[in-house]
Amino acid sequence: MAAEHTGEAFTSPLREVMETKTYELNMGPQHPATHGVYRAILQLDGERVVSMESVLGYLHRGIEKWAEYRTWTQATPIFDRLDYVGAVLNCHGYVGAVEKLLNLEVPKKAQYIRVVLDELQRIANHLLWLGTHALDVGAQSMLFYGIREREAILDLFEAMLGQRLLQNAYPIGGVRFDFPKGWVPVCYRLLEELPKKIDDYETLLTGNRIWVQRTKGVGVISAKDATALSLSGPTLRGSGVNFDVRKAMPYSSYEDFDFEVPLGQNGDVFDRYMCRIREMRQSVRIIRQALDGMPAEGELKGKVGRIIRPPAGEAYYTVEAAKGQLGYYIVSDGAEKPYRLHIKSPSFVNLQGIETMCRGGLIADVVANIGSLDIVLGEVDR
Amino acid sequence: MNFQTLMDVIGWPLIKIVILLVPVFTVVAYLVWFERRVLAFFQSRLGPNRVGPLGLLQPVADGLKLLLKEDIVPTNARPFLFKIAPIFVMTPAIAGFAVISWALPWVTPAGNTHGFVVADVDLGILLILALSSLGIFGIILGGWASGSKYPLMGSLRSASQMLAYEIPLTLSILTVILLAGSFRLSDIVAAQQNLGWYFLFPGLIAFGVYLVSAVAESNRTPFDLPEGESEIIGFHTEYSGMRFAFYFVGEYANVVLISVVAASLFMGGYDIPFVKDAALYAAHPNLASVLGVLSFAVKGALFAYFFIWIRATWPRYRYDQLLRVGWVVLLPIALGNLMLVALLKLWLLR
Repeated sequence: MAAEHTGEAFTSPLREVMETKTYELNMGPQHPATHGVYRAILQLDGERVVSMESVLGYLHRGIEKWAEYRTWTQATPIFDRLDYVGAVLNCHGYVGAVEKLLNLEVPKKAQYIRVVLDELQRIANHLLWLGTHALDVGAQSMLFYGIREREAILDLFEAMLGQRLLQNAYPIGGVRFDFPKGWVPVCYRLLEELPKKIDDYETLLTGNRIWVQRTKGVGVISAKDATALSLSGPTLRGSGVNFDVRKAMPYSSYEDFDFEVPLGQNGDVFDRYMCRIREMRQSVRIIRQALDGMPAEGELKGKVGRIIRPPAGEAYYTVEAAKGQLGYYIVSDGAEKPYRLHIKSPSFVNLQGIETMCRGGLIADVVANIGSLDIVLGEVDR
Repeated sequence: MNFQTLMDVIGWPLIKIVILLVPVFTVVAYLVWFERRVLAFFQSRLGPNRVGPLGLLQPVADGLKLLLKEDIVPTNARPFLFKIAPIFVMTPAIAGFAVISWALPWVTPAGNTHGFVVADVDLGILLILALSSLGIFGIILGGWASGSKYPLMGSLRSASQMLAYEIPLTLSILTVILLAGSFRLSDIVAAQQNLGWYFLFPGLIAFGVYLVSAVAESNRTPFDLPEGESEIIGFHTEYSGMRFAFYFVGEYANVVLISVVAASLFMGGYDIPFVKDAALYAAHPNLASVLGVLSFAVKGALFAYFFIWIRATWPRYRYDQLLRVGWVVLLPIALGNLMLVALLKLWLLR
């Protein structure tokens, strides 16, 4: 009974004789739970949300336009700044699009290395998400546990790519380096430990009565609504829609690996949480397979010239980023710079679901919902 | 009126107040340090360790910082209420310590006795309850006078929370009072010493109810909705500097107060475990008193640690869930338990 969330306000008999008014509450852009500079204008009836309006654009940096003034190679690092906690995946999306336009075959070994780094980044992203989401709901210790394990992953990135956060991981055509000496055993050890740590997180949250009460039945979005709003990633799969770019349109040899796509049923905050938790376990599986099956010899980079001039034309390439389907639409006029470039960022699209999720809930649910969407404002506003 | 009466009526209480206030403020300041260190220990980090050895001077630095900060009164605020509201939180929380009996009376070489209590009034525990309900006015006034929506919401949450948890808290304390047969805290401890064991066991349910409602009364996780940092930032959003510190001190003084009250009611207060207190007191009264204070402090610290532990572990309840827990779960349990204990007491007395 306690976990039920009806969305109906208690109507007092006084309501018939006394006049009440809704009021407006400005949440953000400076608010601890809006994950950056997201702003919501809430119409509230007491603590209940009557309607909600998102105001975006506080972090607009014009990345798409910026990229048009750089050569194809020079533009690569800026995309790390979209979703700055999932930088490797952003980079993969962009170089993938250019490779598609170039009609370039990436060597198998490079593809496998990309899979390893992508999945590590996905885990790192989910760990940070888990920490901040739990913090929003009030469990503050989780943040530090998440960051602790994420730290180990960032160390791996630093050892291989020289950077922890914005790695500029891939050049167009492949990868820059093979794994450095001693990197793979450390990675294996991390893969050993991670599932145990995830078990710990689950002990702390999944079985916690308060956590379940705060998340179950909160922020429900039906599969129909989620598809209509074209949500993607764990936010969509939490509603039970089986769509994962890695399975639906395999890229970078994802068809070689055996993994499941975790699905939710109710489309509430709890299901989205469970999806991401289980996704981390699947990522561990994928990394293990990729490291086991890594070709010993092989090229690291396909044949690309020093100056890249893709043929005139357009290409759309999507990857499954940590937040959902990340798409790059690029147009080339045959010059060394992109003619047009557009990014379909999962955070921006997923944010469209927020009003459906929040309406009828309480203010505390708004915070839980924003957390469960896993938005990064750098990606929303671009 | 001769000197002796004057001393008894005004002198000794004043001296005792000073003697009590210094440790109380120190404990409150160091509870913040303790909490930050313990939380850090739970969260695999270090906590404050830069100012002084082990960061022990951190409270001093924090206090200085807050003292020196600008005292801002927002344009929309009602200045008079805004300024006095924090005092309404801190004063009752500190005043509650007056009725707590810290140890058996001290015996001077001349044979006079001085109780380890500022005011050993016979309705001591009721006074604490009354004072802790007063604290809510400070929060409501502060939220209202801030002239801002977030603090107002925080204070409204606080008001309904206080209403919902005051009653189970009182009922759980009533259970102890039934068992002890007195409202005076020193009598309650004496009753536990006579019984031979602490009220923790006969009053286990009451103890649970007390713990939950006490956490809610002091606005701590998982019931920290009036602050609800990640949602509405809290009733003290608009406060800065020393006025904010008053709220802060009030909150932590409340934590210390509920900890020592819990120790008094359920853990035998200044009773020294595994020792025949009466015999020890007859032989070495002052040693027994000092050990009693120590034993009391350890028990209180255990409760304080418990509250911090909860804060490190649990998420926050939602507004409606919190009220449901208070009215639908705790209240019937506390009422039923009270009746049960009353019947038991009747039956045992016959």
